[in-house]
Amino acid sequence: MGKSRSIKKPGVKIDMTPLVDVIMLLLTFFMLTATFKAEMSENIEVKLPKSLNVDTTKLPEKDVMTLTLTKAGDIYVDVDNFKVRKEVFGDEFGIGVYHPDSTGKSEVETTQKIGGKDVKRKVIVLNREKFEKTLGDLRVALKNMTQNKSDYKIVLKGDKDVDFGVVEDLMQSLKDTRNTRFSLVTDIDAGEPGKK
Amino acid sequence: MAGGDFDAAESGNSRKKQPKWKKGKKVGVRIDMTPMVDVIMLLLTFFMLTTTLAMPQVMQINLPKGDQEDKVKVDMGNVLYVRVSEKGNIYFSQGISNGTEGAPENVSFANMKSKLEQLYAANNNLLILLKFDRKMKYTTMVDVLDEINKAKIEKRYSFMKMEDIDREIVKRAEG
Repeated sequence: MGKSRSIKKPGVKIDMTPLVDVIMLLLTFFMLTATFKAEMSENIEVKLPKSLNVDTTKLPEKDVMTLTLTKAGDIYVDVDNFKVRKEVFGDEFGIGVYHPDSTGKSEVETTQKIGGKDVKRKVIVLNREKFEKTLGDLRVALKNMTQNKSDYKIVLKGDKDVDFGVVEDLMQSLKDTRNTRFSLVTDIDAGEPGKK
Repeated sequence: MAGGDFDAAESGNSRKKQPKWKKGKKVGVRIDMTPMVDVIMLLLTFFMLTTTLAMPQVMQINLPKGDQEDKVKVDMGNVLYVRVSEKGNIYFSQGISNGTEGAPENVSFANMKSKLEQLYAANNNLLILLKFDRKMKYTTMVDVLDEINKAKIEKRYSFMKMEDIDREIVKRAEG
């Protein structure tokens, strides 16, 4: 008895129970709130502009058609349903790119990169005509797949620093294809007045 | 001999607290929580790193359908032109009923909301026509729309192409 105790003695015993409690709480919180980034479907990073929205609408969770405008002035068209992507782009991880400025080429064509990052997805280059057709095709594909039950909501994710000209061209295209309802994705403004 | 000495010293040393200690601790089994904490910590870091918190919000935009029946004639007196230059300077000019428009007025971004509210209070049928320069940044557009949303006015605005004449007006106002 005496011997075994003398071995155990050194070191202070810390009661870990409160620590475990707190960590458990944190863990449950993160597990419940987690929404995973699908590695393949979200690799275009843009810096979103900030807005303080009065009617707090959240980004819809499914059936979203995302039009991402990168700093380079390219428009990437992507949907969240891989079956639709397969049908329209011919690849489960296909993504369309359209460069409205016809004098240049999109970043992905010239450097094989999007926003300085390597592309893992199959990129389909579209011109204006094809781009407008693709918007319609994607909608039709989803409608066929879900027996007309769901329809795409268009969201526009524009980089803060993209020229308005690109947005204007895109809005013209959307208008021409009768996609007159769409949303701009923004970050929530922390609320400092007088920001520019 | 030496061992005996050691024992004695040991027991003598710990005698003060040992009896009490023993009594209190007797009940219950000690579970070593360290491995569990390790695993939970790992899980916690995993979830913390993979979550995307704060879902971004959206601003709803409705464009006109462009149909014939969609076209409405408005009294120029109700129109407010908001022109934004390449540099992001904002110019307001109010339409006048005879078809012309007033002189452009440079409005700072901070004053924009109060100015809009003031104009809306004077005329409830205010229609805002936005003319943004193509070389302007997208963030400015969002900021301007956000200010319009923030002002307590009925949201009636539409986008118009910035023509050469508008650029001329802005240029003149910029001096």
